[in-house]
Amino acid sequence: MTDFKQIENNLKKEAKKLLESAEVPVVLAYTRGYDEKHPMPFAAKSVADVEKIVFNEYCNFNMARYIMRFPDAAKIAIAAKAADSRALVVLIQEEKVRREDLVILGIPASGMKDPKTDQLIDSRTTGGLYNPVEYDILLGEEIRGQKTVSPYAVLADYEAMDKEARWAFWKGQLDKCIRCYACRKACPMCYCDPCFIDQNKPRWADKAPQSPGNMMYHLTRFHHLAGRCIDCGECSRACPVGIPLYLFHKKVAKECEEMFGQAAGMKLEDKPVLVDFRVEDSDQILK
Amino acid sequence: MSRIGVFVCHCGHNISQTVRVSELAHFAAGLPDVVVAKDYRFMCSTPGQDMIANDIREHRLDRVIVTACSPLMHEHTFRKVIEKAGLNQYLLTIVNIREQVSWVTDDIEEGTAKAKALLNGAVYRARLLAPLSSRVIDVNSDVMVVGGGIAGIQAALELANTGKKVYLVEKNSTIGGHMAQFDKTFPTLDCSACILTPKMDAVLQHPNITLLTYCEVSEVKGYVGNFDITVRQKARYVNHDKCNACLACTEKCPGKGISGWDEGLIKRKAIHIPFPQAVPQRPVIDRDSCTYFLKGKCRLCEKVCEQKAIDFEQHDSFLNFKVGAVIVATGYDLMDTRPLIQYGYGKYPGVYHALEVERLFNSAGPTSGKVTMRDGKEPQAIAILHCVGSRDKNNYEHCSRVCCMYSLKFAHLFREKTSADVYQLYIDIRAAGKGYEEFYNRIIEEDVKFIRGKGTRVAPSADEPQRLIVEAEDTITGKFVRLPVDMVVLSPAMVPRSDYKEIARLFNLSTDKNGFFMERHPKLAPLATMSEGIFIAGVCQSPKDIPDTVAQANGAAAEALTIVSRQKMELEATTAMVNPASCCGCQNCVRVCPYGAPFFNEQKGVSEINEALCKGCGLCASVCPSSAIIARHFTNEQVLAEMEGLMEF
Repeated sequence: MTDFKQIENNLKKEAKKLLESAEVPVVLAYTRGYDEKHPMPFAAKSVADVEKIVFNEYCNFNMARYIMRFPDAAKIAIAAKAADSRALVVLIQEEKVRREDLVILGIPASGMKDPKTDQLIDSRTTGGLYNPVEYDILLGEEIRGQKTVSPYAVLADYEAMDKEARWAFWKGQLDKCIRCYACRKACPMCYCDPCFIDQNKPRWADKAPQSPGNMMYHLTRFHHLAGRCIDCGECSRACPVGIPLYLFHKKVAKECEEMFGQAAGMKLEDKPVLVDFRVEDSDQILK
Repeated sequence: MSRIGVFVCHCGHNISQTVRVSELAHFAAGLPDVVVAKDYRFMCSTPGQDMIANDIREHRLDRVIVTACSPLMHEHTFRKVIEKAGLNQYLLTIVNIREQVSWVTDDIEEGTAKAKALLNGAVYRARLLAPLSSRVIDVNSDVMVVGGGIAGIQAALELANTGKKVYLVEKNSTIGGHMAQFDKTFPTLDCSACILTPKMDAVLQHPNITLLTYCEVSEVKGYVGNFDITVRQKARYVNHDKCNACLACTEKCPGKGISGWDEGLIKRKAIHIPFPQAVPQRPVIDRDSCTYFLKGKCRLCEKVCEQKAIDFEQHDSFLNFKVGAVIVATGYDLMDTRPLIQYGYGKYPGVYHALEVERLFNSAGPTSGKVTMRDGKEPQAIAILHCVGSRDKNNYEHCSRVCCMYSLKFAHLFREKTSADVYQLYIDIRAAGKGYEEFYNRIIEEDVKFIRGKGTRVAPSADEPQRLIVEAEDTITGKFVRLPVDMVVLSPAMVPRSDYKEIARLFNLSTDKNGFFMERHPKLAPLATMSEGIFIAGVCQSPKDIPDTVAQANGAAAEALTIVSRQKMELEATTAMVNPASCCGCQNCVRVCPYGAPFFNEQKGVSEINEALCKGCGLCASVCPSSAIIARHFTNEQVLAEMEGLMEF
């Protein structure tokens, strides 16, 4: 189990160094929310802020979400768990941020928990990695020897359903949606401004929280995240009505990986899979 | 409120057989905003066109819908019609009820219903159409020819003679292609080199031709009239400006490589020219067989070169050319016959393929023109097997067209140069060409043994080691034959060059199932492709003989000339634009555009589109997650409206 206190101390130490030396103007990390169990994303901008930094098993937010909030900062340091680091890799591939403008404070972590249920967060709702895929400084021991479960194993029940059953399943789930857009807010990959759903010309879908509009919003969002979703599971945890959005994202990620042999955000040198063309690409998608 | 006119074409029986056209017109007349709807037998005929023009004036139409054939056929015709009648040409919508409806069903109910749905969609779309103005662009007057075989040479010379500047790109170190490997050509038996080398030399001497040998196209950007092509000049390790072709280097070189030119029958030096009449007459060093590159020392060529032309430091370099049109003439390979194990090619030394035999006959070939086999002996009996891999459902269904004739030529040359018995094993002899049937008759007279039946198997002889047995069924006598021979000649299928996929990708060409490049229309546009400004000639389009190849090359040159002889040309107005307020800066558009039109404006953090490069394909609009890209004439609103109209049914 990860020593969260030690990571917090290391995080503070590195943040202090970086801010003191003025190497970066901002360190993105976590701070205490209204209680221990509800930490918040936090941007430390001065040495004095460093003391407010916390890190515990509830620090789930994908910090890559906030990377584009500081356009004036020449360089940003960011606390990145495995999923956060994968999100950063995708953002670098998509040229939203440059690798050299980031100081990635990698956090190897196992035993993260969902504050709502106090259940362990593992490969059922996330990519199931423990170590960041890309970092400058690692804030703890690399985690080895943990058993790895395929992030797609959880799809077994879903894949057993036929077309009609899946449609009925999603219709039932998406009918619950209240269109709070928390999934979009939590997602590090949802950076479009404006989002298609907020547009009026053309109006792609009804904005009321009703079936056809809900379908259009979610199915389009799923599609926009194909080959880009890094499976942090934050959308599902953010959802106030408990829609298992991760299932669809995992399914699409699995198909992308099978077809194009690449999982999102694993390697800096990969190209975004759906806007890249290689002659040897699978033609399966056309069949 | 729009005033829409709908014009339904019967296309003779082509459409009216499976779509009730008058019912369709009647249906259209009842749709909102449609003020006139008519059907007519041939809308593209002059009376049909006049009817549209008159109705535009009489009914003050501001939108016209023609339901007829594919817009590829007559969109241009009808655009001109409505433009003459005073409407902007982009206020036309074509509904394709021929290729997409009548030709894909036998059921008149189904056909009529689908036609109605498509038409309804078109009415929805037509309401939202906006007038657009065409762009006029400058045209670059130079042409690039890719491939330096007889097709490329001929096309380059024709174009250069009209005064146009031509870049001829050839991946080998010499031009000439397969024709330069041949000894004699059918049916006249004139010497291949004698008729080809003057043309090769003319290319070299021509002031309008820039010869780019040992080069490959690596990137193609731009569009008709303004292609921007990058060519990779492979390192030759010989400075061709300094070299005076004394060839002292080739004498001293200890490196031995397999001669591709001689189809692997002999070895050649690492520094070499492929054959004596090579153009340009300059050697190159083959890295894979050069002692220096393999072992790190030698450089004998450098020592003997008085011109100091050897340059081991040379690297591949990239050259950039701007041209108005491109002719692709990349030719063919012979099918690899090793997988056809029944013929034993590669296993039995007595089995040859056609190009190897061409080299055996050639006086500049590995045997100086003497027909001796790999073991040095002269064959006593020879079997020529037609249709190896072609006209064969298991391999290639196409007929390679030239094998019958060159097999007859081989028979003649074998009879002339050896005392061997020659057997032809054929399915049938296809001698359709000027003088071909006469040539066939001549060979029959020459005591060549014709057996109508496909060779089924080649096996070593049990009684006489060294010899081979060819098995076949003689379908005239109905008997099974076993021929003891010394030499077997395979006439393999002609297939596209092994790198055809790369060429197709670079130039945006489609290919048929065998990989031959697709022409725009099999009958009426056999040299044009679906990519404007890119033409094809020779065997890369389909197997053909030298006369047809030369004719195609001349045709392709003329087609290219129709583009580069103009100074300006009109381009479609249907380009894409970015609404910067909606752009999220994801740069998907930049990544997917095959023409390099969108670029990212770092300062504004949004994408922009260079309209001169945009072809209006709409790819960027479809990948734009925040729908910031508007494809003119196919805007989101127009497409959504059309879908709404379609789905009312």
